[in-house]
Amino acid sequence: MSVRTDNHWRALVDLIRPELARYGGLSVAVTVTALLPLVGPLLIGRIVDDVAGGAGSGTVVRYGLAYLTVTAAAQLISVGTTWYANTIAWRTANDLRLSLTRHVLGLDHEFHRTHTPGELIQRIDGDVTSVSDFLGRVLANIAAAVMTVVGVLVVLSVIDWRLGLMMVVYTAIGGVMLALLRDGAIAETERTMSSSARLYGGIEERLTAAEDLRSNGAGAHAIRRFVDDATANLHHHVDEEHAFMRLWWGLQGSVAGGAVLALILGGWLVSIDAISLGAAFVLFQYVQIIRRPMEDIVDRIEMVQKASAAMVRVAKLRAERPSIVDPTHPHSPPPGPLSVGFEHVDFDYGDGQPVLTGIDLELPAGRTVGVVGRTGGGKSTLSRLVLRLVDATSGTVRLGGVPITDIPLAELRHRVALIPQEVQLVHGSIRDNVTLFDPEPSDDEVADAIRQVGLESLLDQPNGGTVGGIHAPLSGGGSGLSAGESQLVALARVWLRNPDLVVLDEATARIDPETEARLHLAVGRLLEGRTAIIIAHRLSTLREVDDIVVVHDGRILEHGRRVDLEADSDGRFRRLLDLALETEDDEQTGADHDGGVLS
Amino acid sequence: MTAAVPEPVGSDGGPMTDIAAVDRNGSGAGYSEAVPVAVWRLAWMISQERRREFWGSYIAFVLFFAFPALTGYIMGAAFDALTDGSSRRLYWMAGALAVAEILRLAILHYGAVTFTRCWYLMKSLMQGNMLIGQVSSGGIDAGQPVGSAGRSVTRFRDDTEDVALFIDGWLDVSGAFVFAVIALWIMAAIDLMATAVVLVPMAAVAVATKMLDTRIKYYRRADREATAAVTGLVGDVMAGATTVKVNDAVEPVVDRLRDLVDVRRHTATRDRVFDDALQSVTTGSGDVAMGLVLIVAAGAIASGRFDLGELVLFTVYLGWLGFFPRMIGRTIARFNQATVAFNGMRWLVAGQDPERVAVHRNLPVAKPGEVERELPARVPLDELRVQGLTAVYAGGEAGIHDISFAVPRGSFTVVTGPVGAGKSTLLRAVLGLSWQAAHESGRVLWNGVEIEDRAAFFVPPQAAFLSQVPQLLSDSLADNILLGADVAASGSTVSSAADELDPLWWALAVASVDSDVADMVDGVDTLIGPRGLRLSGGQRQRVAAARALVQRPELLVLDDLSSAVDVETELRLWSNLAAAGITVIAVSHRKVAFDRADQLLTLDNGRLV
Repeated sequence: MSVRTDNHWRALVDLIRPELARYGGLSVAVTVTALLPLVGPLLIGRIVDDVAGGAGSGTVVRYGLAYLTVTAAAQLISVGTTWYANTIAWRTANDLRLSLTRHVLGLDHEFHRTHTPGELIQRIDGDVTSVSDFLGRVLANIAAAVMTVVGVLVVLSVIDWRLGLMMVVYTAIGGVMLALLRDGAIAETERTMSSSARLYGGIEERLTAAEDLRSNGAGAHAIRRFVDDATANLHHHVDEEHAFMRLWWGLQGSVAGGAVLALILGGWLVSIDAISLGAAFVLFQYVQIIRRPMEDIVDRIEMVQKASAAMVRVAKLRAERPSIVDPTHPHSPPPGPLSVGFEHVDFDYGDGQPVLTGIDLELPAGRTVGVVGRTGGGKSTLSRLVLRLVDATSGTVRLGGVPITDIPLAELRHRVALIPQEVQLVHGSIRDNVTLFDPEPSDDEVADAIRQVGLESLLDQPNGGTVGGIHAPLSGGGSGLSAGESQLVALARVWLRNPDLVVLDEATARIDPETEARLHLAVGRLLEGRTAIIIAHRLSTLREVDDIVVVHDGRILEHGRRVDLEADSDGRFRRLLDLALETEDDEQTGADHDGGVLS
Repeated sequence: MTAAVPEPVGSDGGPMTDIAAVDRNGSGAGYSEAVPVAVWRLAWMISQERRREFWGSYIAFVLFFAFPALTGYIMGAAFDALTDGSSRRLYWMAGALAVAEILRLAILHYGAVTFTRCWYLMKSLMQGNMLIGQVSSGGIDAGQPVGSAGRSVTRFRDDTEDVALFIDGWLDVSGAFVFAVIALWIMAAIDLMATAVVLVPMAAVAVATKMLDTRIKYYRRADREATAAVTGLVGDVMAGATTVKVNDAVEPVVDRLRDLVDVRRHTATRDRVFDDALQSVTTGSGDVAMGLVLIVAAGAIASGRFDLGELVLFTVYLGWLGFFPRMIGRTIARFNQATVAFNGMRWLVAGQDPERVAVHRNLPVAKPGEVERELPARVPLDELRVQGLTAVYAGGEAGIHDISFAVPRGSFTVVTGPVGAGKSTLLRAVLGLSWQAAHESGRVLWNGVEIEDRAAFFVPPQAAFLSQVPQLLSDSLADNILLGADVAASGSTVSSAADELDPLWWALAVASVDSDVADMVDGVDTLIGPRGLRLSGGQRQRVAAARALVQRPELLVLDDLSSAVDVETELRLWSNLAAAGITVIAVSHRKVAFDRADQLLTLDNGRLV
């Protein structure tokens, strides 16, 4: 589907297309809902005329019953239509939500770096809700309003063309007046909203700074600002009310004017015997009836504007394209542990500031490599390249000898795993957190993975005796877990997938020593028979790696076997180790900064 | 064919408000504890804050709601004239109708605008009371700081709205009641039987409103939960987009999301359909009543005793009467919301006493007058003495036990000790800022006189405090430092090497932020953005230090600066303060501080060692 941002209504039509039959059904329901209320006044009009013609009470009772039936049916059908419209609209909107979620999750690392989750929730849920409100409530409402107006015109024209003419003129004048006044009201509303935002923003800020204000004895200062903001806000509210009342004068004035006009016109037509008394009554009632749809249209215009703006944002989001895509000529690396190769790799984040320069590196399959270096030196970028979260600006990254850009993404994601520094847990069960909602692995497999990483304590936690084991909810969305336990959950995720290459990106940076020991054991078990890249913050985590790579300012300073580098007293790695020992002593004296020597 | 009753203009927050109140109340520990609230009395107090606005709009709205009794009567008379073929009378009636409608709209215009003012002033009173509770240094107005500003803002915005809505309901119900009495009286005079039968659907609406209101609340709650589940999952996976990606979990996530949005489709549809059904019952009740009237009065209609004019009168009146039970039901619901709202708002005011939300306060909102910040009179410090100070917390926070020390004028006292030793707690307890302490005892003496309300006393020019994470406001630099005080007026007893220097620049210089400010294009008028985020972390800390210094306090209390300033800056600060002769108590770990200290207080586990 091609979506251009400037043509969002096309996008809306595209959305509706799969449900076209349903929307057709909805139009029928809307039409009936709109026209049924017109029947009641006609019935009373008939009573008036028939009684004048000498009909008895039996006729009146029959009309009365008909009146009851029609009005009851009108209300029932109206509720039914609401249900129908909402169901369809939510179907469409939910499809949109799902496709947007899939789309956004497929976008580049860079996109997620620059968009907060809060913003994306607003885009995926808030904006789509605006669209769905538009489809479910506004569209049906406006359609019904238009149908009512048309119905009134038709009925009155059938009775007498002059009645129809009066109604056309009346509707036109009312409509134009509302349209003119509406813009003023909307402008006032926007001003009020921004002054309210200032008021509440100021309150929020002063509450946050409450202690500072108290200890500075500056409460009165905060109150003064509040009084100023509240005064401005009050004036805006009053102005808005005036604008709204002008709108109300227009609306109610036209209804009242219509009623007066209907009386005069009806009286004249009755006096010249052009229409019956009953018809005059119908005219009078229709003037009242038509007020509702006109109010509705005014009310909903704002929602249309909101939905339209939301549609633009949705279309923009859909127009975002990932740069990391599946290869056109896929090629799979051999099975088993993956070797990792960098050939003349340069990388920058598109801002011309090189992050990695001329990286040449060959990591044989099945070995464990520790990467050390200063924060900002490019360690994490190395891991992102291996995971293909970013692509090299130039040069080639190879896994198992195959250029990484030739490996199908699904296969790559399956074979290369990451244990990040900050583990993202989700609101859900333990199982959900380990499988990330994948229904595939059996409960036994999941439980086994949890035990393998040493998290069995999680399975034994008391759960009120109802649900236990891996289906128990992770308490408080994981807020009850320590950073270390969260890391173990990430480890279990990886364990379950049995990858060929594991990347640990500063996985132990924020963990207390006791948990680190536990994690260390589990990591050792996990890495058996796989290639591993361990990006380290504390050098103590690298005691058992095979090789060491020292990265500095985007270049590789040293690369070799750990034992060799440790022995090289002039080497960079050796110097880092020595420095680390010093600071660890320092830490014991009670200084309370974190122990990272490299940051 | 019911005439729509205009909602009281601009005063209705819509149906979302009631469940918002329920949710706000239900979330979070500490906020769920409800006390009985004299809602009627408190709301009455609030409504009488500005009598002219309240009674003006009250009378206007009662008239406005009752007015259709007159217009309906005129319309009936007009159709009588039409039936009689009296054109002259018909035109008179049409004219009368026009005049009546214009009058009605004028009354509404006056009432709506006046009530908007009234509405807003009532909200401002509650907001002002809560804000005063939160920012007062001490005294009878100071409430417990609630922190969590994001959640507290809903108290200012939504809880005050709920109370104002309840008061708004008085106007609606009074007006609708007056109309109902007049309308039923006129209708009964026309046909007693037909009027009696009208009451049946009215009663049905009352019952339906009562029944469905509970349901709707329940359904709305379910919908809120379903929505929260959807946004929760989306938020989780967007925050962990990389995790989802590298674990190839996009499809399972989308599948889970599909389950959640399906649930929400049901809850949302149900919620809206029931809302709509209630509306239908309301609008439909007038129609049903009319149908019943037609049947009951069939004989009278056929005989001409119940004529066209009376039919018109009935249709008009019935259209409006249908809203009466609904208004009463809604006001009852709003009473409950107001109870919840007072229970939420009371947490922000002194003593958590709902009375203090409604207490009369002559704030100059939309009227002449200004809130002035007045500095207390300076009491020169000779010696500060702390005796047996203890502050214990219920949670895991570090407490302090039985701490005693003395600080002579002009001395430099350094507090040190490991993390969690109670250093910050000590400073706060001395200054009376340990609001959350479960138990507090001990004395603090200023020149030998015990200070009872320490939070109120320890403000500039007596004392200033700089916390570890100071908060700035989105004003100019100068505003942030002066906080509305007139510096020139505060005669300092603290000497300074640069007394001729403008106090603002003196403070900036002592805090070592003067060169930063000099480099800014707008200098001290630079706007520093929300919470001061346009400044760097270190700049924010030093600007806050200047704020603490600008009144040349007798005593300066500084929490740990080391996370935001480097050793050189810290050293310069201690020298500047010593040169200015200011008495200082500071937390530090650095040797530069120890070297200069006249007194070193080492804490461990809340005790002095």
